[in-house]
Amino acid sequence: MPQIFTASADTRLRTAALLLAIVFVGSLVFTAGFMNSTYLTSVGWVATQPVPFSHQHHVGGLGIDCRYCHASVEVSAQASLPATHVCMTCHSEIWTGAPMLAPVRASLADNKPLHWQRVARLPDYVYFNHSIHISRGIACAECHGRVDQMPLLARAKPFTMEFCLDCHRDPGPHLRPRDQVTRMDWSGWHQDPQWAHKQLQAFGIQPDKLTNCYICHR
Amino acid sequence: MEREQAEPPSFNRRSLLQAMAASLALAAANGRRAEADERALPYVNAPEYVVPGKPKWYATSVRFAGYLQPVLGKSIAGRPVKLEGNDQHPATGGATDLFMQAALLGLYDPERSQVPLHLGQPATWEAFDTDVFRRTAEIDRAQGGGFRLLTGAVSSPTLLRQIGDLRKRWPKMRWHVTEPIKEDARLAATNRVLGRPLQMLPDFSAAATVVSLDDDFLGPGPRQAMQARAWSKRQPRLFVAEPTPSATGTRAGDRLIVPSARVQILAQAIAGAAGVGGAAPAELAAHEKKWVDDAVAALGKGDGLVTVGAQYDEALHALVLLINERLGAFGKALRFTDPILAAPPDGKDSLGVLVDDMKAGRVTTLLILEAEPVQATPAALDFRSALEKVAFSVHAGLYADATANACHWHVPVQHELESWTDGRAPDGTAAIVQPLIRPFLNVRSPHVVLDRWRGGSASDHDLVQASWQTGWQEALLAGFVADSAPAAVTPTLIDRTISLPDPPSSDGLVVEARPDATQWDGRYGHNSWLQETPKPLIQVTWGNVVRVSPALARERALSNGDEVRLRFGNRELLGAAWIMPGQEAHTVVIGTPDAFAFLDSWRQAGVRLEKTGKTRVIASSQPIQDMGEFDYVRTVESAEEAAAQHKDDVSFYPPRKWDSPSWGMSIDLDRCIGCNACSVACMAENNVPVVGAELVAQGRQMYWLRIDHYTEGEPDAPRHHFQPVPCMHCEQAPCEMGCPVNAAVHSPDGLNLQVYNRCIGTRTCSAYCPYKVRRFNWFEYTGHDPDSIRAMRNPDVTVRSRGVMEKCTYCIQRISGARIAAKIAGRPIRDGEVVTACQQACPTEAIVFGDVTDPDSAVSRRKAGPRNYSLIEDANTRPRTTYLARVRK
Repeated sequence: MPQIFTASADTRLRTAALLLAIVFVGSLVFTAGFMNSTYLTSVGWVATQPVPFSHQHHVGGLGIDCRYCHASVEVSAQASLPATHVCMTCHSEIWTGAPMLAPVRASLADNKPLHWQRVARLPDYVYFNHSIHISRGIACAECHGRVDQMPLLARAKPFTMEFCLDCHRDPGPHLRPRDQVTRMDWSGWHQDPQWAHKQLQAFGIQPDKLTNCYICHR
Repeated sequence: MEREQAEPPSFNRRSLLQAMAASLALAAANGRRAEADERALPYVNAPEYVVPGKPKWYATSVRFAGYLQPVLGKSIAGRPVKLEGNDQHPATGGATDLFMQAALLGLYDPERSQVPLHLGQPATWEAFDTDVFRRTAEIDRAQGGGFRLLTGAVSSPTLLRQIGDLRKRWPKMRWHVTEPIKEDARLAATNRVLGRPLQMLPDFSAAATVVSLDDDFLGPGPRQAMQARAWSKRQPRLFVAEPTPSATGTRAGDRLIVPSARVQILAQAIAGAAGVGGAAPAELAAHEKKWVDDAVAALGKGDGLVTVGAQYDEALHALVLLINERLGAFGKALRFTDPILAAPPDGKDSLGVLVDDMKAGRVTTLLILEAEPVQATPAALDFRSALEKVAFSVHAGLYADATANACHWHVPVQHELESWTDGRAPDGTAAIVQPLIRPFLNVRSPHVVLDRWRGGSASDHDLVQASWQTGWQEALLAGFVADSAPAAVTPTLIDRTISLPDPPSSDGLVVEARPDATQWDGRYGHNSWLQETPKPLIQVTWGNVVRVSPALARERALSNGDEVRLRFGNRELLGAAWIMPGQEAHTVVIGTPDAFAFLDSWRQAGVRLEKTGKTRVIASSQPIQDMGEFDYVRTVESAEEAAAQHKDDVSFYPPRKWDSPSWGMSIDLDRCIGCNACSVACMAENNVPVVGAELVAQGRQMYWLRIDHYTEGEPDAPRHHFQPVPCMHCEQAPCEMGCPVNAAVHSPDGLNLQVYNRCIGTRTCSAYCPYKVRRFNWFEYTGHDPDSIRAMRNPDVTVRSRGVMEKCTYCIQRISGARIAAKIAGRPIRDGEVVTACQQACPTEAIVFGDVTDPDSAVSRRKAGPRNYSLIEDANTRPRTTYLARVRK
């Protein structure tokens, strides 16, 4: 009876098996990397905006508080974008002729809203509420990053479910004093673990309940 | 590359690399992230008091059959998304009905007429204005001769003022009114007995005993919310005599099944016993006599009230007025005011006069303002052929309907949620209707349409404001004009001699037309929420059936779905038979929209019924309604008797301690009148999709809250029960055990929840659910919605797509809203702070929701009562939704 397999069959099988394994592991690694890539999370990507608004200049340079423009952040689910009128409170006085601001002036003149591209956004099935996070002392920078260092705004954190859950599982280290939530630079701030514990107690925050589906999904 | 190499290099290696780096960077900058862009459009000038993301509430009203129904409209980002009852309103106190809830869909309906039509072709408003201008010049010369205005019932002071102004300018014009479902006999009876037409306002909260002679005062109609709320406050002892079951009949302790021809005899018997002079002695059957004796005895204990259905003739109403006067009900359980709807100038035959004039060629110009006379009038009138004789006819309405197609011009009008108007609630309280949204179609207010005929150019706002010189702001804030209901009138009897005509013939089969519970006179035919809502008692959606009695079904071997032909004279009506337990043997009932083409009045004897041999598929949401030996709805003899037969907390496991708050619901089955207001409210609040007749017939309806109807006992004379069934939110939920991907989960505050993103559609949870409250998205019901329907969706609730299971969430978006508000304020959630959509909608306050761990909450107090029981207790699922058993009398 002739041999069924040639002498090299075993080598070919082993090579094929190894290749399959490499492809399998490789695809896992690729998928994991892809899922965390900025392509999917949009972290650091700058969107084309009608006006190249610089948070670095307005927040970092001029020191304008977040709430001047994002006025409803303390009372509503939405932080809201400023009305054109808010931009023009200053820009009717300064840089009145700047070509960069032409779309803002046109918006006010034509009574047509500016078409911004959203940077920080969540899927429709996530019901995030700004007001409760602010009232508990979650600083703006916690999710939005150092916008005071961003000439053009980009997403600072991957708004994945994992990112939300990391904080909901253990909110203590992320809490800040309520009156300083809009502060950007927290590098010099050393949190007293006791203080965070007291905050959790005072607010009645129960981390085991915070990870329930219904907290964010309806 | 080769071509580039062939050319002499114009740059060195370094600049080439720079260019490459730059183009790479540009490519990256032009690249797209995986996420599609989403635009955000902030205001140019932010309106004052608008907080993005927070709803705003406006007090306004929606219209129904000439009356206003007070509502609070919830508007998010400038879009109305939900209507709720106005709890401050003196008439309704926050009660709603299903038509009011469904008005929201009427605003966004993609089938609404969007453009003027001239001879069926799209035209412009300018062309219409030019045509009208030319026409009005002619009418001016004739001083209005030949010009007729046809409207529905009118309670709007502004419209009345406009009509008055028009008549001043054109003294020879005439105004006609058509309202397909009439209540003229009541006004005529007061005119006869009390000397002038008066509106009867029965107050069911002031009566201890109510005897209803085929009067479905808890049933569908403009007064349903008001009367059901009043009835629920006291729940008087109720005697009902009727030929077919009604919402009122199901609440009766003593229900007598009689043909409508006997109603008059019963009234005479009660009149005789009450001592009304001149009442002829009546011969009664034994069971009728017992019912009358019991009713008279109960009426004799004081605070009695007798009512009779609006469809009966004037003389019977007059007799009942005399009985009520004898019972001392005047001024207490029966109050009178001046008529709330404007009286049609030609009396109750206003439309008949118009049609005669049209046929005689005396009408040259006809303006039909928001009425549907072609379809919703008796066929014998033959409005359509009369309309052909009119030289210039204009129809202004929401839809390009049959009347619109029969007129020369059709112009689209504004929905009341986008326009200014006014009117009166069924108790007479006036209200100003303010828009919740700027019109998004090219439409005009009916007031503006009428104003253009006068050559005016005022806006609807200015026209309405001119009627309300004082108190404008206050009225808009409150949603009604305070103390504007017409004063109560204390009438004096002028005529005590009532001679009743002979009872009508009841030869053979008697066909009766009843107002359709979800379509009314057909005007809601476009509303898919209402089409998909099962008509109470028959549980049929999408179309109507011919209701036959069980006795007739036995005699003719009819079963549900058999096609039958009703014949009377040379007319015939085809329909599917539906066996209605508790219907009088020789009575056949059809719904109003079908009846217009078949009957000339509400009742016709001597009708023949035959089977065609075909069968029709009926889209019924509940094919089996006989309760059999089950006890889904329990009945106790007295309020003190315990309904629960065994304690429902039997378990091998130690009792679980629930943190506060932990949510639960209690539904009082004695109060439920099966009106479906809660079900439609739930559809609006929770973005529940509509699936259509074909899928309902397959049992694939999507209601999160359904109203089951059960009959108990012999089909010829059963007891009828309604049972609203939302998700039970079982503490030991079988569905949660069945899910392979943990999509059915339990929250720490006692909610049983569905995680749509986890659901892979195995439907195991639904198979495990003993209550069948889980609904599966068999198809993509929402993805292809038109833009206007997307705009209507509640943004606080996920819109589900194909392949996922969904169910009642106890309005978790409202719970979350209350929880966040309470946490920010640093206080616990107050009892009554979370009001579910169904609870708010309920006209009889049958639904109570709250924290079951707090013994003082309203829901805990109800659940602690003896009538409390759980549905399908044997399953030991420990439902959080429990019921209060019915009390027999």
